[in-house]
Amino acid sequence: MVRLSRVLLKDAGNVIDKTLSEILVCPLSKQPLRFCEKTKSLVSDTIGVSFPMKGGIPCLVPKDGKILEEESEASKKNIK
Amino acid sequence: MTALLRIVSPVTFTGGNLPDNSRSRRGTVVKCSNERRVLFNRIAPVYDNLNDLLSLGQHRIWKNMAVSWSGAKTGNNVLDLCCGSGDLAFLLSEKVGSTGKVMGLDFSCEQLAVAATRQNLKARSCYKCIEWMEGDALELPFGDCEFDAITMGYGLRNVVDRDRAMKEMYRVLKPGSRVSILDFNKSNQSVTTFMQDWMIDNVVVPVATVYGLSKEYEYLKSSINGYLTGEELETLALEAGFSSARHYEISGGFMGNLVAER
Repeated sequence: MVRLSRVLLKDAGNVIDKTLSEILVCPLSKQPLRFCEKTKSLVSDTIGVSFPMKGGIPCLVPKDGKILEEESEASKKNIK
Repeated sequence: MTALLRIVSPVTFTGGNLPDNSRSRRGTVVKCSNERRVLFNRIAPVYDNLNDLLSLGQHRIWKNMAVSWSGAKTGNNVLDLCCGSGDLAFLLSEKVGSTGKVMGLDFSCEQLAVAATRQNLKARSCYKCIEWMEGDALELPFGDCEFDAITMGYGLRNVVDRDRAMKEMYRVLKPGSRVSILDFNKSNQSVTTFMQDWMIDNVVVPVATVYGLSKEYEYLKSSINGYLTGEELETLALEAGFSSARHYEISGGFMGNLVAER
């Protein structure tokens, strides 16, 4: 995992502009976000929630956030 | 009729079932933001065309005025809330130039998709400085004192908690900077209100019906009625912490623009 502020990632349209990455924070905790390369999502470690990116656009509507524990369980079920 | 058409309101999309709280700024918080989000997603493909058609292009003038009032200038970092398909964001980018930055935030992914497509079709380098994001105007994903200017076009009337929205705008604005909020004017003049209602009933709704959006535009009348007057908007801004607030009526009183300074 790398901190969002140091990421300039280009992967299938999920681009995080460096300036943007320095400005965006978690909409709920107002704390910095971390870009997760594995899930291509923006993670708020403070509250344990991840926010998706769709077509390069960060989706930071609070109700669209996924609790990290639930996301992990969902991944395990998919593997099984 | 031509004179009446010249001051036709733009298409401003509203949706959901807002209860009639026309005089109550602190009325029931309506939890229908998801309905509105779905609605704005649905109308995204025709939103720009209807804006042009129903206002005969005048919405561009109003939006230019809103951007001028925001005080945005070269090199600034600015925010357009409820950006929709991006009209105000594009105008802001022309002001701040390629050395500035524009954030366009909206809760409708379809509107943002239209905005991104329009951005890709535009040639000027300043438009590349716009970043789009899906977000909630009541829970902004920005730190404190981030922006040199904020604009909001036809958004404040649609949010479910205007106090909260104003406080968020105040929070993310730099001291001494301004927010410029354009929307329909809820007039105290009965003649203006009558004219607005007449235009909605006899022009806006029939045209919207052609696009299969009659219900959404019928709602516009009650939405304006449930909005705040200019004076109430000024009070809203001052109570959110802004040091000054002034509401300007434009286009014969049909539209209004709130300018508040932190």
